[in-house]
Amino acid sequence: MYPAAIEEYVRPQTIAEALAAVGRFDEGDALFLAGGQSAMQAVKTRLLRPRCIIDLQAVAELRGVSVDGSGVRIGATTNYAALAEESSLDGAYQAVRDAAARVGDRQVRNRGTIGGSLCWNYIAACMPPVSLALNMEMKLIGKGGERSLAAEDFLGGPLETEREDDEILVSLNLPAAPAATGSAYKKWGLVTDALPVVGVCAMLTLDGSGACASARVAVGGLGDGPLRSGAAESGLAGVSAGDSDAIAAALQAASDEIETQSDMWADSDYRKLLIRSLGAEVIASAFARAAT
Amino acid sequence: MKTTVNITINGESYEESIPNRLLLVDFIRDVAAQTGTHVGCTYEGVCGACTIQLDGAAVKSCLMLAVQADGHEITTVEGLATDGELTPLQIAFNEHHALQCGYCTPGILMNMDEFLKKNPDPTEEEIRHGLIGNLCRCTGYSHIVEAVKDAAKKLA
Repeated sequence: MYPAAIEEYVRPQTIAEALAAVGRFDEGDALFLAGGQSAMQAVKTRLLRPRCIIDLQAVAELRGVSVDGSGVRIGATTNYAALAEESSLDGAYQAVRDAAARVGDRQVRNRGTIGGSLCWNYIAACMPPVSLALNMEMKLIGKGGERSLAAEDFLGGPLETEREDDEILVSLNLPAAPAATGSAYKKWGLVTDALPVVGVCAMLTLDGSGACASARVAVGGLGDGPLRSGAAESGLAGVSAGDSDAIAAALQAASDEIETQSDMWADSDYRKLLIRSLGAEVIASAFARAAT
Repeated sequence: MKTTVNITINGESYEESIPNRLLLVDFIRDVAAQTGTHVGCTYEGVCGACTIQLDGAAVKSCLMLAVQADGHEITTVEGLATDGELTPLQIAFNEHHALQCGYCTPGILMNMDEFLKKNPDPTEEEIRHGLIGNLCRCTGYSHIVEAVKDAAKKLA
């Protein structure tokens, strides 16, 4: 595994410089590199053969988490290690910490970034279902200016997104969450912290009585790419934390609704069982986090 | 195709003109001739033997181009000991027989050295979780975990 020849390496300091650099190349010839924990694998196996690598490591405006009255902004090149420690995400957006703390291994978390993972949209990645359940808004910038896409519109099937090759994912934006909102993410893989065979993320907002007023549930590890489950979301409406039968029914409906694939890691029925089992765990955590 | 870089490894600066596609691990081993950093999995990013510290953070040097380290500081296993005096972590690995063939050891030391700085009083579960990115096919990890526990005690 060794990269093909790379004509040019550029390390811009600003988004404007990065866009100027990509503008010098034909479409697809220059590759934006964030932490490189997935993209470098693709470069080494020559799945990607960029003429130019534009390394985003020095672009400070792409990195870091900031919180104000309007919500939370996560810079696209914020690494997992930083996100795992980010206490401003607790409660409503704690699923980001759950996922970030268990991606890969320490070395990968020290360098891998949330935006890089979302742009790669690998089938067995944690951040795509998290971004769907949390309703992240993806802010992109390109030569035509800025645009924002909901996670659902940004993410396609595995390895597909709406991002153009010459666009940069700038940030993931989360609106200020309603009171009594909690989220959680959990994955299952063949060994501890392995790439998920299935990952489930839930975000719940409770009403004054502690019942679920709105729910977003998303599943990753699917052949069709990460998906929300409408059946789980509608099935959770009005349900309380202690309503285990209703929660189980909502998850049964989710596992019936979602098409799961069989492969060397797990067969289709086992994936459905994982959706129900991980789903019950993350829903219980999300209820507890929403209630505190 | 080539870029001139200045990379500091264990306090020594290396200014070289290198191919853009050269991996950092190969710069460390072949250009800087610091062969303590190992390649275990043919550059697949899964074994952790090539773990070094980039500006103090443990990362896999086969998942980076050397040009990306231009202007940065690298520490390798050769940079742990000062004037030939081993660190408490290295001594603990020796005392607890935490290596057999030793091939994975440099990567584990570079990872655990940073781990103990961030988490000076770790539980066994945290140590084991911290070691996920490093494969060892000799020891079964028990002695490695004991060595890290002991080093944490000695560093406290």
